[in-house]
Amino acid sequence: MPELDRRDFLRLVGAGAGAAASTACNDPIEKLVPYVIQPEVITPGIPVFYASTCRECPAGCGIHVKTREGRPIKLEGNPSHPVNRGALCARGQVGIGRAYHPDRYVGPLSRAAAGKLEPISWPDASAELVAKLGAAAGQVWVMGGQVGPTLSSVIDGFVSAAGAAGRLVYEPFGYEALREATKAVFGVSATPVFDTGKADLIIDFGSDFLDTWLSPVEHARQLSEARDVGQHADGGTRVVSIGPRLGVTTSASDRWIPAKPGSEGGLALALARAIYEKRGAPAGGDAAAIESVLRDADAAAASAADVERGVVEELATLLLEAKRPLVLPPGVALASTAATATTAAVLLIDALLGAVGSSLLIPTEPTTPQTASMADIQKLIGAMNAGQVKVLLLHDTNPLYSLPASSGFAQALSKVDYVVSTASMRDETSEIAHLVLPDHSAMESWGDAVPRPGVRSLVQPTLRPLHDSQALGDTLLEIGRALGGQMPEGGFRQVLEGAWSDTDFRVALGNGGVFSDVPSQQVDIAPSLADLRVSEASLVGSGDHTLVAYPHSFFGDGSGAAQPWLQETPDPVTKLSWGSWAEMSFHTAEKLGVTFGDVVSLTSDAGSIELSSLPRGGIRDDVIAVAIGQGHTVGHYASMAGDGEPGVARGASVISILPTASDETGGRVWLGTRVRVAKSGRFRRLALSQWTDNQRGRGLAREVSLAALAGGSEGHGGEAGGGHGGGHSEPPHTFEPAYDALPGQPYRWGMSVDTDRCTGCSACVTACAIENNSPVVGELQSIQHREMNWMRIERYVGDGDRRGGAERRPFPDREKLGEIDVRHLPMPCQHCGAAPCEAVCPVIATYHTEEGINGMVYNRCVGTRYCANNCVYKVRRYNYWDYGNDNFPGLLGLMLNPDVTVRQQGVMEKCSFCIQRIEAARQPAKDEGRVIADGEVQTACQQTCPTQAITFGNTRDEKSQVVARANESGRAYHALQDLNTRPAITYLAQVKREDHEGSH
Amino acid sequence: MAPPPPATAVVDTLRPTSVPRDSRINVDIMAHTKGVQWPYFLALGAAVFGVIQAVLVLAWQTYAGLGVAGYQAPVFWGVYIITFVFWIGIGHAGTLISAILFLFRAKWRNAVNRGAEAMTVFAVLTAALFPLIHIGRLWKFYFLLPYPNQRGLWVNFKSPLLWDVFAVNTYMLISIIFFYVGLIPDIAVARDRATGFKKIVYTILALGWQGTGRQWKAHNRTVLHLSGLATPLVLSVHSVVSWDFAMSIVPGWHATIFAPYFVAGAVFGGFAMVIVVLIPVRRIFGLEAYLTDYHFENMSRFILLTSLICGYAYGAEYFIAWYSAVEYEQTSFWLRAFGPYWFSAWCMILFNAVFPQLLWFKRLRTNLPFLFVLCFLINLGMWFERYVIIITSLSREYIPAAWGLYIPSAVELSVLAGSFCWFGMWFLLFLKIFPVIAIAEVKELAIHEKEHGGAH
Repeated sequence: MPELDRRDFLRLVGAGAGAAASTACNDPIEKLVPYVIQPEVITPGIPVFYASTCRECPAGCGIHVKTREGRPIKLEGNPSHPVNRGALCARGQVGIGRAYHPDRYVGPLSRAAAGKLEPISWPDASAELVAKLGAAAGQVWVMGGQVGPTLSSVIDGFVSAAGAAGRLVYEPFGYEALREATKAVFGVSATPVFDTGKADLIIDFGSDFLDTWLSPVEHARQLSEARDVGQHADGGTRVVSIGPRLGVTTSASDRWIPAKPGSEGGLALALARAIYEKRGAPAGGDAAAIESVLRDADAAAASAADVERGVVEELATLLLEAKRPLVLPPGVALASTAATATTAAVLLIDALLGAVGSSLLIPTEPTTPQTASMADIQKLIGAMNAGQVKVLLLHDTNPLYSLPASSGFAQALSKVDYVVSTASMRDETSEIAHLVLPDHSAMESWGDAVPRPGVRSLVQPTLRPLHDSQALGDTLLEIGRALGGQMPEGGFRQVLEGAWSDTDFRVALGNGGVFSDVPSQQVDIAPSLADLRVSEASLVGSGDHTLVAYPHSFFGDGSGAAQPWLQETPDPVTKLSWGSWAEMSFHTAEKLGVTFGDVVSLTSDAGSIELSSLPRGGIRDDVIAVAIGQGHTVGHYASMAGDGEPGVARGASVISILPTASDETGGRVWLGTRVRVAKSGRFRRLALSQWTDNQRGRGLAREVSLAALAGGSEGHGGEAGGGHGGGHSEPPHTFEPAYDALPGQPYRWGMSVDTDRCTGCSACVTACAIENNSPVVGELQSIQHREMNWMRIERYVGDGDRRGGAERRPFPDREKLGEIDVRHLPMPCQHCGAAPCEAVCPVIATYHTEEGINGMVYNRCVGTRYCANNCVYKVRRYNYWDYGNDNFPGLLGLMLNPDVTVRQQGVMEKCSFCIQRIEAARQPAKDEGRVIADGEVQTACQQTCPTQAITFGNTRDEKSQVVARANESGRAYHALQDLNTRPAITYLAQVKREDHEGSH
Repeated sequence: MAPPPPATAVVDTLRPTSVPRDSRINVDIMAHTKGVQWPYFLALGAAVFGVIQAVLVLAWQTYAGLGVAGYQAPVFWGVYIITFVFWIGIGHAGTLISAILFLFRAKWRNAVNRGAEAMTVFAVLTAALFPLIHIGRLWKFYFLLPYPNQRGLWVNFKSPLLWDVFAVNTYMLISIIFFYVGLIPDIAVARDRATGFKKIVYTILALGWQGTGRQWKAHNRTVLHLSGLATPLVLSVHSVVSWDFAMSIVPGWHATIFAPYFVAGAVFGGFAMVIVVLIPVRRIFGLEAYLTDYHFENMSRFILLTSLICGYAYGAEYFIAWYSAVEYEQTSFWLRAFGPYWFSAWCMILFNAVFPQLLWFKRLRTNLPFLFVLCFLINLGMWFERYVIIITSLSREYIPAAWGLYIPSAVELSVLAGSFCWFGMWFLLFLKIFPVIAIAEVKELAIHEKEHGGAH
C-alpha cells in the first residue's frame, strides 16, 4: 500500500468535498449558448413581429406575431388590418397556444392491427394512403372546415386527382340561412357584410353580433365608435336586442325584448308589414313579391312572441324615425327550422328601410367555397352507411364532436374503411382515424384567407415546425402527384406565391395581406321573395322548455375548449369557467327545487345530458340555455385528461342532445328541440368567479344618464353611487401626479377605462395572461378562487342594494327579464398613489416605484399575504402551488414571455402595468434623449381591446390621451374613491341612453 | 373586584389541617415529578403522536405548497394566524400573574405562578411557530429580521407584521428568562433529591444554587427587575398583535379599540387556560393542599373582569359600525352575526361575554367542575373570536364581486390539533422535570406565617 502523504491527503479531501458539493445540487446545468452565426433579423432581447392572420374563427382578423429569438410568444392585432384594426378577441389572443399545445400530434400515426395508433414515418404513411386511395377511386370523400382560397384550390386538385366522389366544406356555424335568405330576397347568393357603425339604430333579432356572429371584433369596434359619447352628444347608436337570454350583445344594448325563441320570424314579418305600410316598396323593389310575403304577417305576432302588445308598432316607429336603421337577423343560437325565412324577413326590413348599400353590403363576389348544408351532410352520412365511402379524409374539422349524435355520424364513420385525419391536435375524430397525418399549427403554416370580400389576408409561419408534422397543402400536393393527378408545381408555399402573383407578395406579407373596401353591388328586392313563407319554428320533442344551445364566447364550435386560457377565463355573462351549466330562470329553478350547482338532466328525443344548474333572472321561463363547446372526451384541457381522468368529458356537450334538423333551405338547425328537465339530486360545484352581481350601492361600476352628462356634472362619476359607503360629497376626480410619484421625473403611469365601451368580452383578461405568463390553475383551484389572472372583469347589475351576502352558495341574482343595466368593471391593479398594500409588507417586496407604479419584487416576497388582505380592490394573487414548474405541460413553457419572470411558489403577484413594455419603450426614448411619447407604451389589455375602452399613459403629461379622456368625459371617477387610495386608474361611468323603466 | 385577603388567610387555605414542614412541602410538591403512571404515558403518547402527525402534515405542506391549506381569495389569512393570535393571547395570563401580580404583592399568585409561567413559555413557543407555518416557505423567514447583509435586503418598519416580529421575540425571550430564574431555587431542591444522570442535569441547571442569603438577595432583585421589564410586555405584546389588524384598512379590523380589546381578551383567555390546565394537575397529583378553591376563585374574578371588558368591546364594535354610517363596516358587522359565519360569532359572544356572567355567583366560582367546563368553552370562544375577526372580516371586504368563503382544510385542522399536542407535550414533560408549584415561594409564605404567628 503506497504511502499517503500530506499533499495527497489534501487532494483527496478536496476532491471529496467537491464531489459532495456537486451531488448536492441536483438541478440540471443549463447553459446560455449564444448564436454562433447570428441570424440577420434576430437581435437577442428585441422582438420581431410578423404579420399573419388569425385562424381561430372564420372572421379572419389580422395579427402581428411577436417573436423573440425565433419563437412566437404573443399575438397582437394588426392595426392596418381592416377587419380588426389592431384588436383581437379572447380566442384570437390564445391562438398561439395551439403551436405549443400538449395535445399536438408529434408525428404521423397509423392504426396498427391491434387497434392502437402507432407512429409511422411520413414516406410510409404517404405510401399507405396512396395505396388506399388508389384502391378506392370514386369512393373517396374529403370533408373539412373552411380554409383559405389557395389551400381550398389545392384540395380541389387533390379531389380530382384522387378521383374522389366529393368534397364537403363543413362548418358547424356555417351561416347557411343568411346566405340563402340573401339569395331569396336579393337574388344573390352571398353573405352580406354588416357595418354596425354606420347605423344609428340597430334592432338585433338575436345575432349576438358583438360576441360570436360573423365578425364580432369588427362589429364591437364599429359600434363602440358609433356610441362614443364624446363624439355623439346624443349617445350615438341605439341597440334593441330581441332574444330569450341576456347575452353579451344584450348586455351592451339599450333595450331588451325577451321574445319567445322561434317567434322572431313572425315578429320580423309583422315589423316589415308595419314599415311597408308607412313607407312602401323601395325603388326597384318588386312590390308584388313583397306584398305576397307580407300577407302572412300576423297581427298578433307580439302575443305569439310572448312580448307586450304594441312592441311591433313601437319598433316600427323607432325604425321609421331613425336616420340609418339596421336590423340584424338571428344568429346561431336562434337558427330554427324557420331560419331562412326569418333571416329573409329581417333582410326585407333592411331593404325597406334603405339599409342596403350603407350598413348592409351585398358583395359582388360570392363566398367560396360554400359551406355544406345539413342536408348535404346527411347525404354523405347516407353514403357512408351504404358503404359507398371507402376513404374519408378529414381536415380542420371535428365532426364527431360537432355533429349531433342523432345524425348517426359516429355509426356511419365506423362503416368507412379508412379514415384519414390531418388534425394538428388530438380531437374526438382524429382519435378514431386509421391514419393521422398531422398538419402544422397555424404558427408554422403558410396560407391565406378571405375573411370577407375585399380582404385578402396572408398566413405566414413564424416558427420552424416543432414536431414531425407536415403542412396539409404539402401533404395533398404530394399524395395528389403520387396518384398521378395534375397538381401545381412545387410545395404549398410556391403554390401560394403563385396564387398571389397578381400582387407584390413581399409587400403583402409585410402588411398582412391586400385590403380594399367591400366590393358591393346595388341590389333590389327580387321576385324570388314571393316564394318565401314565414312560419313559426317547429320544435321536436316533449317537455316544457325550449333548449337554446348558444355559441359560447370563447369555445366557438368547440375547438376553443382545448385552450386552457379560454377554459379559465370566466364567461363574460355568467362569470363561470371550466364546466358546463344549464341556465334557467329563477321560476324554473324554483319549480324544479334546484339552486345554483344542483345537477339537472336535460332530456330530448335525441338523448340526455346532466349538468349543473345556473338559475338567473336574465332568461325566459320557458327556456333552458346551454353553451356550445364543452363536453369533450379528448384533450388535455378540453376533457378531464389533464386532471388525471382521461376519457372523461369536461362538462356536457349540448350538441349530443340536439336533433338533426335543417331549415327550409337545408341549413343547420340549432334551435330545434324541447327538453324535459329533471332534478338529479346531486350537486356539482361550478367555478363561479364572482360572489355576487350586487354592488350594494358602493358605486364601483357607475352609470350616468345622458341628461346628467349634458347637464355637466363635471368630474363626478355618475350618480352618487357611493351611497352609504361612498359618502355624500365626493372629491372631484383628479389624477394626483404630484404626490404619487417621485417629484422631478417625468412620469406617473396611469390608465383610464371607459366602462361605457366595455362589452365584457374578456379579451384583455386572456391577453394579460399570455403577456404576463399567468398560470392556468384548473377547475378545482378556480372553484376555490385561486385563479391567477391579473385582471378580472366584474359584472354588476344595477347600483345594487344592501340585501344578501349571507348565502353560503351565492350566485348572481339581480338580473330581471327584459331589463339590462349590466355594468362591466375591468379590474387590474389600481396602482394606488397611497397603496394600502405597500405599507404593510414587512419585507418591502411590494413598493412604490419612482414612476408611481406599485412594484412587486418576487424574490423578496416571503408570502405573509398581508398585502392581499389589505388590498381594497382584491387584485393580488398568491402562488399557492409551484405553478412555475408544473403549469406548462407539453411545450407550453416555450410560449412564456422572456421579459416577465415566472413566479415561484409562495409569492404574491399582480398587474404590473406591463412594466416590461414600459421598459421596452424607455430604451429607444433614452437613446434619442427624449421622454417616452404618449401612446408609445400600450399595455397588453389596452392593445387587444376591441372597443378601445382602455387607455394607458403618463398622467404627468397634461396632453396625454389618458388624461384627456378622463378629464373631458365628465364621467370620470375612481373605484372606492372615498378610501383615498388615489388609484392610477380612472373609470369613466357607463352612459344610460334610454329609460325604459315604464315599459316593463 | 374585592381586594385580595391578607396573607394569613392564604396560608390558612394552604394548610387546612396542620402546618407541613419544609421537607413536607418538598415531598408534596416534588411528588408529581417522581415515577410514571400509565395515564401519564397515555397522555404523553397522544401528545407526541399529535405532534408527529402535525410535523408530517407540515412537511407535506412545505413540499406541496400552501395550496393544501384552505385559503381562497379574498381570505388570505386562516387558521394559522388565528392559532398564532390564540396562543400569544394564552401566554398573557402567565406574565400577568408572574409580573404584575408580583409587583402588586398579590401573594396568592405564589401557588399558581409556576404553572402559569410554564404555560406562557410553552404557549409562546407554540405561537412562534405559526408565522413560519403561515408563510409556507419557512426558510424565507429570516428575510423578516433586520440585520446588515450584502443582498440589499431590509425590512419595512412601517409594517405591523415587523413590529410583531420584535414583540413576539422579546416576549419569548423575557418569558423564558423569567421562567428559568424563578425555577433556580426549585431546581436546587430537585438536585438535592436526585441521583445519577438526573443529578448532573439538575446540578448544571441549578447554577450552583446554595440558598445563601446573598443568592436569595440577588434572586429577588432579579425577579423584581424582570417583573418590571415584563409588566409593559403584558400590555404591549398583544397590542402589537392587535395592530396587525387595526392598522389595516379592512372593515372589521380598522378600529382603535383593538389594542385594549385584545389585551383584555388575552388575559381572559390566558386565565381560562391556566384553570383548564391546573384543575386536572391538582386532581391527578393531589395538590389540593396547595391549589385551593381560593386560588381558582381569584382567577375566576379576573376572568369575570376581563369578560366584561371583552363584552364591552364586542358591543362597542357594533355600536361604532352602526354609528359610523359607513356601509362597508355595517355590512361587515351585520354579516358577522348573520352571515355565513354566524356560528363562530355567536360562539364568541356566548362563550366569552354571556356564560362568564355566571361567575358573579361565588358558589360557581369555587365549583371546579363547572369552572373547568366554563374555561374550556372560553378557550373555544377565544379561538372563535380570532376566527370571527380574521375570517369574517376578510371574507366581506370592499368589492362584493371578490367576496368569498373560507373553509379550513384538513391540513390546517391537523396542524391546529398538533399545536395543542405540542403545547401539551411540553407541559407534560415539564411536570416530570420541574415542580409545578413554586416550592420556594410557597415556603416563603409558610415562613411568613410562622414568624407572624398568623396575626398580621
